[in-house]
Amino acid sequence: MLPELREGVSIPGISKGISQANVNRYAEASGDFNPIHIDEDYARGTPLGGTVAHGMLVLAYVSQMMTAAFGRDWLSGGRLDVRFRAPARPGDTISVSGEITAVDKDEDHSRVRCEVLCQNQNSEPVLTGVAEVKVKAVT
Amino acid sequence: MPEHEQIDYRQMEAGYEFPPASYQVDSSMVGAYLEAVEEDSSLYRDSDLVPPMAIAAQVLAALSKAVSFPDGAVHVSQVVEFVDTADNRDTITSYASVGRMQKRGRFHLLSINLSACKDGDHVVFRGRTDFILPEKSEDSAP
Repeated sequence: MLPELREGVSIPGISKGISQANVNRYAEASGDFNPIHIDEDYARGTPLGGTVAHGMLVLAYVSQMMTAAFGRDWLSGGRLDVRFRAPARPGDTISVSGEITAVDKDEDHSRVRCEVLCQNQNSEPVLTGVAEVKVKAVT
Repeated sequence: MPEHEQIDYRQMEAGYEFPPASYQVDSSMVGAYLEAVEEDSSLYRDSDLVPPMAIAAQVLAALSKAVSFPDGAVHVSQVVEFVDTADNRDTITSYASVGRMQKRGRFHLLSINLSACKDGDHVVFRGRTDFILPEKSEDSAP
């Protein structure tokens, strides 16, 4: 959990290697079997030139980082608004990071706003966006 | 949603509502999800809590089974909002409706509003998903 909530605090990041096996497991778990994710022969013939990870898999990594930072508050008061900037591909390593950009406090809660970013191993943005979470005040 | 035939994206207009889909969350579904995303938080290990992104993934998957997208469709943006938690054995019903469908040149911009409820009408998840869809070749046929 974060030691303090204030603008400029970095959220501890995570790093995830993406393999075709990861992507296949996510397809099984989510039921999303779009061939662009799992059929290498099909995907080679598309403009993407190969399979790509589900955007929701990359987004899950962001949620994982936020869960580690905010605990249960994230699970019932979290919000993500993101753009998928580039595909994440098998073989990529995705670094997920975030930084608090605003904290609005009231009597019972703080509303924390963060910029979030996923980059591949070449520092290319794969996902950018904003996370918000309503954090209960500690009594 | 998945029990019905797929609808072609060109038939959809703003306001179109997909048939809702219901399923019961079970530990095998949650376990498969946690393994797929390599999530090891004690929040899930020591409780019946369901990762909210697992619910979101199921909502999206139900949608993808309900609509026929053309090759080259791009998932460009996503909003997810976790309103409340869900637990193992909860019955989840997911809903989706077209928020916007616009043709821009050779592409369609499609926004779909999403939600999921437990216990009938208790909202646990809301969201929006946006796609850019290239027109199918027959779209431009004379």
